[in-house]
Parts: sequence; C-alpha cells; structure tokens
Amino acid sequence: MESGLIIWIILAPLLGALLNGGLYFYHITQRAIPQRLFSIIGTLSPILGFIFTLILFLDMKETGNTYSQDLFTWLEVGNLHISMKLLADNLSIFMTMFVTFVGSLIHIYAIGYMHKDPGFGKFFAYFNLFLASMLILVLADNPIVLFIGWEGVGVCSYLLIKFYYGKAENVTAANKAFIVNRVGDLGFLLGVVTLFFAVGEGDMSFSSLEANIGNVSPELLVLSGVLLFVGAMGKSAQIPLFTWLPDAMAGPTPISALIHAATMVTAGIYMVARFHFLYEGVEGVGLYIAYVGAASALFAAIIACKQQDIKKILAYSTMSQLGYMFIGVGLGYYSSGLFHVFTHAFFKAMLFMGAGGIIIAVHHHQNIFKIAQERVNLPIISGTFLIGVIAISGIPPFSGFFSKDAILAAAFAEGEYLIWIIGMFTAFLTAFYMFRLYFILFWAPNKKVGNPYVYTSKTITIPLAILALGAFGAGFLNLPTVLWGEHLVDTWLLQLNSKVLHMSHLTEWILMILSVGVASAGIYVSYKKYANFDVFKPESEEGLIANKFYVDEFYDKTLVKPIQKLSVFIDKVVDTKIIDGFIMGTCNKFVEFGKIVGTLQTANVRFYAAFMLVGMSCIFIYLYISLGL
Amino acid sequence: MISLTSYAFVSMTLFTIGVMGVVSRRNVFVIYMSIELMLNGVNLFLVTFARHHLNLDGQIITIMVIAIAAAEAAIFLSVIILLFRSKKSLDTDMFTALKDKESK
Amino acid sequence: MIDIVFLALSFFAIGGALAMLLNHNPMYSALGLLICVLSIAGLFALLSATFLFMVQLIVYAGAIMTLVIFLLMFLNINEEDMPEEPNKHKYMILAAIVMIPFNLVIIKAVSNLPGSDLSIVSEGFGGIKDVGMHLYTDWLLSFELISILLLVALIGTVVLAKKKKSRGAK
Repeated sequence: MESGLIIWIILAPLLGALLNGGLYFYHITQRAIPQRLFSIIGTLSPILGFIFTLILFLDMKETGNTYSQDLFTWLEVGNLHISMKLLADNLSIFMTMFVTFVGSLIHIYAIGYMHKDPGFGKFFAYFNLFLASMLILVLADNPIVLFIGWEGVGVCSYLLIKFYYGKAENVTAANKAFIVNRVGDLGFLLGVVTLFFAVGEGDMSFSSLEANIGNVSPELLVLSGVLLFVGAMGKSAQIPLFTWLPDAMAGPTPISALIHAATMVTAGIYMVARFHFLYEGVEGVGLYIAYVGAASALFAAIIACKQQDIKKILAYSTMSQLGYMFIGVGLGYYSSGLFHVFTHAFFKAMLFMGAGGIIIAVHHHQNIFKIAQERVNLPIISGTFLIGVIAISGIPPFSGFFSKDAILAAAFAEGEYLIWIIGMFTAFLTAFYMFRLYFILFWAPNKKVGNPYVYTSKTITIPLAILALGAFGAGFLNLPTVLWGEHLVDTWLLQLNSKVLHMSHLTEWILMILSVGVASAGIYVSYKKYANFDVFKPESEEGLIANKFYVDEFYDKTLVKPIQKLSVFIDKVVDTKIIDGFIMGTCNKFVEFGKIVGTLQTANVRFYAAFMLVGMSCIFIYLYISLGL
Repeated sequence: MISLTSYAFVSMTLFTIGVMGVVSRRNVFVIYMSIELMLNGVNLFLVTFARHHLNLDGQIITIMVIAIAAAEAAIFLSVIILLFRSKKSLDTDMFTALKDKESK
Repeated sequence: MIDIVFLALSFFAIGGALAMLLNHNPMYSALGLLICVLSIAGLFALLSATFLFMVQLIVYAGAIMTLVIFLLMFLNINEEDMPEEPNKHKYMILAAIVMIPFNLVIIKAVSNLPGSDLSIVSEGFGGIKDVGMHLYTDWLLSFELISILLLVALIGTVVLAKKKKSRGAK
C-alpha cells in the first residue's frame, strides 16, 4: 500500500541537517547565532522522525499492512527499471523505531556534551545528515537505494570522526575508516551487480528479487552471497576489515555512541537479514558468516582484556557483540540476530554516553587508570554504567541475557558446537573485561582524599536514565516460550523465515543456566583481580595482546606500504616520464619542426623568387609529362 | 619563313633572360631592369598573337602593360632612392629585416 | 627581305638583353636594355603594330630608360656601394636549366598551332585610328582605370621621395 508518510521520516532529519548547515554558514560568516537555535533544530528533527515512525508502527500493528512509497523513476535503461522506492515493512519499521529513538536520545545528550565546542552547529548538521542516511538505508526498497544510504553513512561517519580536525591523527583515523569501508563497499556493489545479471528480470526491488531468486544458479548465489557479506564485513567491523573501529574512537563520544554502537555498524546485519531469501538458498555461506562472526567475537574479546583506553574497550566490545549478531543471522536465525541488535543498541549507547560523561568530568582523560586516579563522584553515571555492564555480560533479567542466550541456543541446536564453545568462552571474557572496566573506574580504592561531587547536566543524565530502562526492559519483548514469554519480536519479524528453535525445554534450561554460570564466573575472576587494584601502578602496555596482535602493523607492511610505493611509482615514472614525456614530447617535436620550417623565411627577395621559380618549373615538368607533348 | 614559332622563341628567350637576372644578380638596378625585360618579352608575345588572329585585343593589352610598367617604374625607383638613403648600399641581400629571427 | 630584318632585330634584342644581364656596371646594363627596347619596337613595327611601335619608343625608350639612367647618375654610385657577386654565373646557369621545362611547353604548344601568314598588313590593323576606336569602345573601363593608376603612382612617387627634414625638426 502507498503511504505518503514514509518520506517524511527521512526528510525530517534531512531538512534539519540542511537548515543547520545553512545557519552554521551564516553563523561563521555573518552574525553569531545562539546555540539554543542549533540545538532545537538539531534535536527536534530526529524526534519528529520518531513520531512519524511511531504513527506508522501503530498503524501497521493494527492493520498488518506493509507500506511503500514510490518517489520517482531514477533509471530506465533497456529492461532495467530502478525507481527511488521506500519500503516500510515489519523489518524496516523495527529498525527505524530503535534507530530514531536511540538517535533522538543521543542528540539530546550531545547538546550537553558539545556545549563548549565552537563547531556546534556543524556537528548537529552532520549528525542529522547521518541519521537521514541511516534511515534511507533502512527504509530502502531496492539494493540501489540501500547503497545510497550505505555510502551516506560512511561519508557522515568520516565527517564526524574527523570533527576535531586540529589533530592530524583524527583525520588519519577518519581516512582509515572511510577507506576500509570502501573496500567493503566494493564487495557489496559487486554482489549487487552479480545479482542483477543473474536474476535477469524484474525491477530489482527486494520483493521482485525474492520472487525471482530461483533463476539464479547455485554458484552465482554463493558468489553474490559472499560478495554482499564483504560489504557487511567492512561496515560492521568483522575480521579482516575491522581495524578502523578502534581508531574511530577519535571522534566525539556522541558519535561513537550513535554510529559505532547502535546504527551504522548494525547496517551489515540488517543487510544480511534483508537478503535472507538469498542466504536461505546457500547454507554454506551462512555457516561461513557465522564462523567469521565467532572468530571476530573471540578476537575482539581477547584484545579488550588488555586495553587501557575506556573508549577502545567499548569499541572492541562492540566488535565482539557484532560477531554474536552475525552468528545469529549466519545460522539462519535472523530474528534472534536482530533482537540482539535491538538490545545491544540500548546498553551500548548507554555505556558510551556514560563514558562520555566520565570523560568530561575528569577533564578529558581517557586512560582508565588516570581516570581512576582522579576519583570523582558520579552517582547517576556510575549507576547506569553498572546496569549496562550487567546487561552486556548476560545476567538475567537484563536484556542482554535473553538475546545472547537465544543466539547461543541457536548455535547449539544447529549442531555447531565449536561456535557454541567459542560463544561461551567469549561470554566469559565479555563479563571479565566489562567488569574490569567497571571495577577499575568505580570500585578500586585510591588514595586521593575527599570525594568532590561533580555536577553533570540534565541533558546527560536523563537520556542515560531512559536508556537504562531500555537496557533492563528490552529483553522482555522477546521472551522465549520456555520462560513463559510471547516471542513478540520473533512474531513481528515473521517475514524473514527465521528458523525456529527446536529443542527440548530441558536442554534450553540447561543452556541458560550454563551461560549464566559462565558469566558469573567471569565477574568473579574480575572481582578477584580488580576490585582492590592499585590504580597508581597501571598494567603494562607490552605484549602481544596489548598491542592488538599487531594487526595494524601487519596490514601496514603488506598492504599499505606496497600500494604507496605503487602510487609513487605511477606518479614519478608513469605519469611524469612516460605519459607527460609522450605528450609534451610530441608538442616539442612539433615546435622544433616549426622552427626548421621557419628557416625558410630568410627575407631575401631573390631567394623567394628563386623558390617560386623552382615551384613553377615543377608544375611545368608535370604538365609536359602529363600532356604527352 | 618567319613564323609564329620564331617570334615565340624570341619572346621566350627574352623572358628567360629576365628571370635569370632576377634570380642571380644582387644589384637592385639590374633586378629592376630584368623585370622590365620580362614585361617586354610578354608584350612581344601578345602582339604576335594579335597579328596572328588579326584581333586588336592583344595590342590593347600591350598598351595597358606598358602603362603599368611606367607606373611601376616610378614607384620602384623612388623606393630604390629610399633604400639607398637608409643603407647606403645597392645590395638586395642586405635588406633582411623581416626574417624569422628565432631560427636564424 | 623581311626575314633578314627580323633576324637582325632579334639579334640586337637578345644581345642587348645579355649585355644587361652580364655587365657589372649598371650603367652599361641600362644601355644594353635600351638597345633591347629599341629592337623590340622595331619588331612591333614588323608585326603591323604601328601605333605600338610609337608608344614603345616614346614611353619605354624615351621615359622609362631615361628615368633609369637619370637615377643612376643622380645617386652617384661608387664602386664600393655596389655589391660583389661572386656566384652569379653559377646561379644564372641554374636558372636557365630550371626554366627549360617552361620554355619547352610553350614552344611545343605554339608549334602545334596551324601556321599563318605574318606579313605586314597595310590598312585597317594596328594603325592609330583602329587602335583608338577599339580602345574607346570596347576597352573604355580599363582605359579609365589605367589613368587613375597613373595618377596614384604619380602621387605615391612624390610622397615617397620627399625629404623628411621638416618632420624631423619638429
């Protein structure tokens, strides 16, 4: 069914971005505009988007319709007909709901966080633009429009990571994020093109692709599946395209919260779920995805145990949780994976926002040991931080337990015991390093006298409180039947043909108790080690794990340096000597030839007359011969 | 037995001698006189054919040519005076101010 | 009889031309040209062009050659003002060789024409009345244009040869 409302979900933040951008230009060139105007426009836009989404959601809940909106025909070439079409079906609305909700809360948070920055208006313009791109991605009806949003979030991520562009390393980190993403984008584009050639008919919208997927031969299905997943690897920071995510923490904390926790990095999982009709046909590719997810989860968890920067710990934990989500969608349990996306958005955004509050309170230290040495009293932040840490560790009844457990049970039910063991061990490590973070920041005793209380503004604490509620309560939306729940999320996402868990209730109970036990063991080990840690003797930064397994250095040596050498070679040799030499050489030869011809111009009249004579003589010789005289 | 061919022969000889003079002599006066010689040769040719066809057009053209030669004589000789005044030489190879200076 | 006159006149014409070509001193060249011009006038008379015979004598021999000789004397040329011409004979022979095809073509073409009688016509051709009638009826426009040309040449000569002293003093 057609609905005119869908475009407004996107237009609200987009117009907000344009308005803020224009006003910012005015602000820096003509007259200063008060920050209040920027913040009002900047936060009202996503809130409007959320309201529109809520309207559509409630309607869809009542009537069960799916809405689409055909804006205009974009390309019409031969039998390829691509239109800018937006789709609001259950999956899109599900994603849009929490993206706009968490997005609005983070926008409110950013008012307080970015209060002293002179580029306030610019920040909100970029931020709204990011939200608009993410919404285009999620509400797209064909892979081309999805790609528009895909690229858009990449660009906005770049713009926002390098927001503090005064320091060169921030710009380098932004470049790294964009370039690594680009590698992924190439894979995605190749996958879409392969699909186009393989399917051959229809108009490339998801519904027509789903209908015609039977036309594609199995080899091409595997190929396109793998290529599309390369795109997801880049966007969602899985092995091997993950190196950008820790460096992306150079940006301001609100964007780490929104982009690298709740929205952009989940685009990969959304895409795999969108293409479920493709992955259903090739179970092998799904299994490969699940293994990549498991490996990334484990890898990130190990590295996080030794990191000392608060935001980097959270970044690696994001990568680890994304691995869990890929296990879910890879094995065919799309709704479980998406449910983990949903709960993760809440507690990860909250953790990042809490970290931001702490960083402001201790005057922008980011090393956990230095923060601990400062010892400020932040009751609300530490309280919500504790809730987030418990949720991510998977302790019931907080939300993280339900979603993580659903994925692990799926792995066990499919017979993939290796993935299940890796998942369990990673859960142990997750609890360990997250509680390490919590204990060092808030529990370890320090010798500083007195407890100065630092006031944190309401714009920081209120969103934190709301998200804490979500982190606690979101799990109840998808309680499995074994726990007398109603599977709300699973039923909502029925279109995805997710596999249903077929296990005896006894096995499910045993698995649940096992995962709780593993998480508690992690907390206990962390408590023993860090609850009374002496923060004035920080851990060393040596060793394989603390240096992130030297992956960055490996990439640098094998990929970056050879490409740089190639660039220099092409510039100095091919461009300057060969191409320029050829073209300029031709020019110079012409000029020299002209000079040689110029010697004829001697200005000697007799010479000219003689030359004319010779010419005339030649004509007459020709005449004599041709006339046959 | 004087025929067309003999008159043509004389006229061509005069023309050729005129051309040789223009090309090989450097003295400005001799070049001028060679040009006049060429004109004379052509005049002879014209008059011959006027007689051959009994058509007076050839002679009229010859009158025109003679008039033009007179006008040309006046101008040419004034220019020789100017050149002699500026360079004090009658050598045509000295007047090369318009040549292409770059290539020498 | 006429043949002998023709032969003598052409001999003098070609001889005068050669004298003009080969002499170093321009005065001698001018005299050579004078002889050539006079011979050509005679040739015109042989071809029944009596009016042209007169015109050639008056204009060419009487005006143009006089002007040339006058200028030669006026400029007071010394031996050092005149150019040395070391290679003139070489260039002359080269020019002669280059002109051969031209001559060959013309002479071949002319000799292929049907022969004709070139004896002197007594009445009605070449006289001043006949030429005048033809000139003022058929060739009137050219006649007027030629007179304008002569006027222009007259003015041009005066302008070119004027001494520029008065302008320099300003």
